[in-house]
Amino acid sequence: MSEALRVDLGGRRPGTGPPMKNQVRDLRGEQGWSQADLAERLDVSRQTVNAIETGKYDPSLPLAFKIARLFGQSIETIFEPD
Amino acid sequence: MARFTEKQYRNQLSLAMVAYMAAMLLVWPLSRTAASVPLKVLLAVVPVLPMLFVIGLMARRIGASDELEQRVHLLALGAATALLGALSLVGGFLDAAGVLALRGSILIWVFPVTMISYGAVRWWLVRHYGGSAGCEGGSPGWQLCLLAVLVLMVLGVGWWHGRLDAFEKGLLFGLAPGVLILLVVSLWRRLRRVADKD
Repeated sequence: MSEALRVDLGGRRPGTGPPMKNQVRDLRGEQGWSQADLAERLDVSRQTVNAIETGKYDPSLPLAFKIARLFGQSIETIFEPD
Repeated sequence: MARFTEKQYRNQLSLAMVAYMAAMLLVWPLSRTAASVPLKVLLAVVPVLPMLFVIGLMARRIGASDELEQRVHLLALGAATALLGALSLVGGFLDAAGVLALRGSILIWVFPVTMISYGAVRWWLVRHYGGSAGCEGGSPGWQLCLLAVLVLMVLGVGWWHGRLDAFEKGLLFGLAPGVLILLVVSLWRRLRRVADKD
């Protein structure tokens, strides 16, 4: 298992653990999508997209895979431990 | 399946709360004077029905939420349950020691205290994750107006029938400023959002 998958993908508890860095905002920008557009494609709320982009919430493994597939990249490319 | 939106939740919650108020003011008082025990029991538990509907609504809302929203809901419910458990323990021990004399009717506060604690913790968690605790896609202003009008109608009918005792009249005068404050806060938030967009 890669280093990126060994970190807590189940969601960071408030105030604990270092956040993962991710490229979601950049990738979304490249597509010209708003947070609401991405949220609709991922079937999550806009606030969840915002929390992921700002590193306040680390997505679950299924959602991380969904994000990776949507942008046509591997999870390790998008998410990396800080 | 379409997501159960915050707007749908709030609409249905508003109606349930109006039904609860109506049951509390128009039906529940009849339980005091009901002749037969089965009728007394039936009338006494009528206000619980809209609350059961609210619990069902909450379950549906949590079930339809995404993973972060579910996390927030469940953390908030866990914290609310822990707080309620702690308060019950303190109250129970003080009552057993003879410091307090708690009546059984204090159990009526279990659900409201749980919901208030849940709301407060959820508000804090949503802010922690960088979101807004307000509903997406619209202002609840009109719903508050509807709620205020319906509550006042219910109270008016209750008053007209002469069923309001001192407690219920106090509730009427207590609710009016509360609803007014909610409307003012809602209006202020709406104006601030409009100002931020400009």
